[in-house]
Amino acid sequence: MSAPDVTTQPGTTTGPPVHPSWGSFASRLTAQLAFNEDRFFLILAVFIGIFAGLAVVCFRITMEWTRLYMLGSALTPSLWRAFLAPAAAGLVISTLLFTVFKGSAGSGLNQTKAALYISNGYIPLRTVIGKFILATLAIGSGHSLGPEDPSLQIGAGLASAIGTRLNLSRKKMRILAPVGAAAGLAAAFNAPISAVLFVIEEVIGHWSAGILATVVLAAVSSVVTMRLFLGSEPFFRIPPVGVIRWQELLAYSVLGVLGGIASVVFAGALEWLRPKIKQSPQFMQFLYPAIAGLLLGLIALSGFPQVMGAGYDFIDQAMHNQYTWEVLGMLAGLKILATTLSFASGTPGGMFAPTLFIGAMLGGAVGTVEHIFFPHLTGSVGTYCLVGMGVLFAGFLRAPITSVFMALEVSGDYTIIIAVLVANMLSYLISRRLRPIPALELITRQDGLYLPALEEEREQEILTVEDAMRPRPAIILDSQRTVSETWDIVQATTEEVFLVRRPSNSIALLSRAELQKLVDAGDARTLEDTQTLSIVPYLHPDEDLQVALRQATNFPVVPVLSRANVSRILGVIDISDIMKAYRKPHSPNPAPA
Amino acid sequence: MNLLQRDFIVREPLLVSILVLITVVFSALTHSYSQAYDRRRLGLGVEWYERGNRELADKHPDVAVADFRTALFYDPQNRGYSMRLAEALSQSNHVDQALNYYSSLWQSQPINGLINLQIARLYARKGDSVAAERYFNGAVFGDWPENSVENRRAASLELIHFYLDRGDTGHAESQLILLSGNLPEDPEWHTRVAELYLRVGDAQRALIQYREALRLNPGYLPAIHGAGEAALRMGNFHDAESYLARAVRLDSADLSSKQLLDVVQAVTALNPYERGIPEAEKIRRTLRAFDVIGTRLTSCGGESPASPMAGYYTKWKDLKAAANARFLTQHPEEIETLLDFTASAEKSAQPHCGGPTPEDSALLAIAQQQETQER
Repeated sequence: MSAPDVTTQPGTTTGPPVHPSWGSFASRLTAQLAFNEDRFFLILAVFIGIFAGLAVVCFRITMEWTRLYMLGSALTPSLWRAFLAPAAAGLVISTLLFTVFKGSAGSGLNQTKAALYISNGYIPLRTVIGKFILATLAIGSGHSLGPEDPSLQIGAGLASAIGTRLNLSRKKMRILAPVGAAAGLAAAFNAPISAVLFVIEEVIGHWSAGILATVVLAAVSSVVTMRLFLGSEPFFRIPPVGVIRWQELLAYSVLGVLGGIASVVFAGALEWLRPKIKQSPQFMQFLYPAIAGLLLGLIALSGFPQVMGAGYDFIDQAMHNQYTWEVLGMLAGLKILATTLSFASGTPGGMFAPTLFIGAMLGGAVGTVEHIFFPHLTGSVGTYCLVGMGVLFAGFLRAPITSVFMALEVSGDYTIIIAVLVANMLSYLISRRLRPIPALELITRQDGLYLPALEEEREQEILTVEDAMRPRPAIILDSQRTVSETWDIVQATTEEVFLVRRPSNSIALLSRAELQKLVDAGDARTLEDTQTLSIVPYLHPDEDLQVALRQATNFPVVPVLSRANVSRILGVIDISDIMKAYRKPHSPNPAPA
Repeated sequence: MNLLQRDFIVREPLLVSILVLITVVFSALTHSYSQAYDRRRLGLGVEWYERGNRELADKHPDVAVADFRTALFYDPQNRGYSMRLAEALSQSNHVDQALNYYSSLWQSQPINGLINLQIARLYARKGDSVAAERYFNGAVFGDWPENSVENRRAASLELIHFYLDRGDTGHAESQLILLSGNLPEDPEWHTRVAELYLRVGDAQRALIQYREALRLNPGYLPAIHGAGEAALRMGNFHDAESYLARAVRLDSADLSSKQLLDVVQAVTALNPYERGIPEAEKIRRTLRAFDVIGTRLTSCGGESPASPMAGYYTKWKDLKAAANARFLTQHPEEIETLLDFTASAEKSAQPHCGGPTPEDSALLAIAQQQETQER
């Protein structure tokens, strides 16, 4: 955390004299009361959480009103509504997207990330308003999209608007957007831990203790706010999770493999269709949301209206064993198709809920088949649905840590952890193997942006000091020796800089030129007494080479000491060693498309 | 204007105050908005719930399921909707789904008697006896918000029927003994329990319950008839005759009492074991019983070698030579031979030879009484 911007207070240096103790108390008090941007930032995080929570409440209610008006009050809409509502909404959405809210297309997740890295976290308020209106219209009318990613952008946009009004520093503005994003997502999904992890994994892209505190504060306050208005019940009721037998892990492994393949298919469909739509003429781009709506209506008319909208109520039904495995499998496949159509057409809305839907249906199908062949195994279909959601999350969104925590947070049951770990990791590995570039990154690249990701960081080879250091020099000088004794020793080498061991076990540097000067001056003192030694910091072999780079720019050579015994010099490192290590060829990262 | 660069004590509280003010206004607006939606949502919930009830009453459980599901979508916390949905699912034979819903409800109310009872019924339908028994017990000992005593009693009765359907008379009798200690002062309940005692084969406890019912209502016909039947099973023929005759007097159209009375009267006429009768009368009754079984075997087609009763018929014909008063007077030990044959043949004839006459039934009752006494 940076130091407070301002600490002096008017009146403390001028005015009548005061008692010394009162004076120091007053100055301490004024210092405490003075404006402190860091402290205020924590308070602001809470308010951002509250605002994001309130915005998400309004967003969800508006979405429900829209659904009521457009699709009717029945869970399964009537045929003509299912056919006409998404198409009509698509036309309205296109009109608004092309005229008023030009920046509001897409899910909101990548836009938030882009804002963070490109415009210092600034998201225009118009984009937020556009996202609110267009996403409610799209999801409410039955487009196969989810409200979480737009909520994330709405939260980030509100935070950005507040930060802009308060004229916060650029550093704080950059933090503010992810804080709002976590708050928005936490309120939308009613799961603060998963939201925080997701924002760190997918939006911020790296872990930082400083950010974590504010993100957590905002997420918690937004969830509390949302629950005040909408209650604490999850979107789908989780049936009791029984003890998972080891034999069932085989079925969960199958689910992991299927989930990985489904993720690849889903990402592949988006990768294929999205550029085609983006490259089409402007007029056709205008029509695509309506065309997607029509096709969605056809899917609904073919007997699968469940693929419309976010689909949480149908996840609930799948969890309660309402569908046969054939229907569940069909729903998973059709949801991939429907979401690809809706998302690729540019209709604003998120991928979070559809991903969960596909995973739940896939999990339900595997669970139902398992029950047919092995009825004695006790795991409920609901548990498979739950694990399936995590599986798609890990495979498609490539957020493996979030996927595990999400399953635990949503179920509130720790007994599923092994099944979740096995299935999620299999799905993640298969997806990563078959499609090295994650779907979300692919979408940003299709938009011409190259943003950092935690997965990239994970992939990177981390170079450490031991990769670059040289063996310790033959001569280590002793600061207790006299100048002349030392001169005799150094005559045996041609080195220009020497390490000198001091009594306190610290290491100092001495150059041949400085020693030469002392010899020429006839100095008979010990090296320690000459006051010419410059203390040098040290490194350990496992430290990041970037740390070494910072040290080596200030010193000609830096000693590398053993962690077990700091008096033991293992080697030395200098800037040329570091550069050599960086220039060595290493495993390449996936190249930009 | 950079607010944060301003340096004075009031800056932070001022900003916080402004934010609080915005929060209050925003919250108030959101509250009004959510209240309006909540009203609409709950209204829709009621609308769909009523629709579901109508469909369920019209015996359309599948349609009712969709309606209750929609009602629950609008009011997910409403346990009443969940219960009705589970009930509709159960009626539409979606046992697993119903079980899931009830299980979810059970998670939050594990001692709710009604939920336990419904789960027990579903497990019984699925054939999972262990789980059914556990939940039936949960219903018997669970909480019932209204009429708890009556509901527990009804659950207990259902558990007894569950045991009886499985042929587990031991557990059924244990449960009956528990239930007997907790019966209301109602002749109908005592009679119902007595009938169950008869089903588990405990005629003595059945008779006690019938007598309790008659104490409460001496003219209660089902109890009089039942007491007669219990007495007959116990071999207490005089009491049986007395009860059954009373039943017939009270309701001459009561055919079942009349039939039982005929049996009892036949027993009285045929019983060779009756104490205090002269030897000649014992022989006469033995011969009469032997003739009755002979008629029974003949009418059952025992003459045909393919008949399952052919062996008995042949034996009967062999014994027929010795079945006369003179022979039996000279060889009284042969009376037992004839009576043993009669009892054995009648027992075998029961499953093969159709409905017995009162005299046939009397033979069986006499045999059973004799077996009981010998034990």
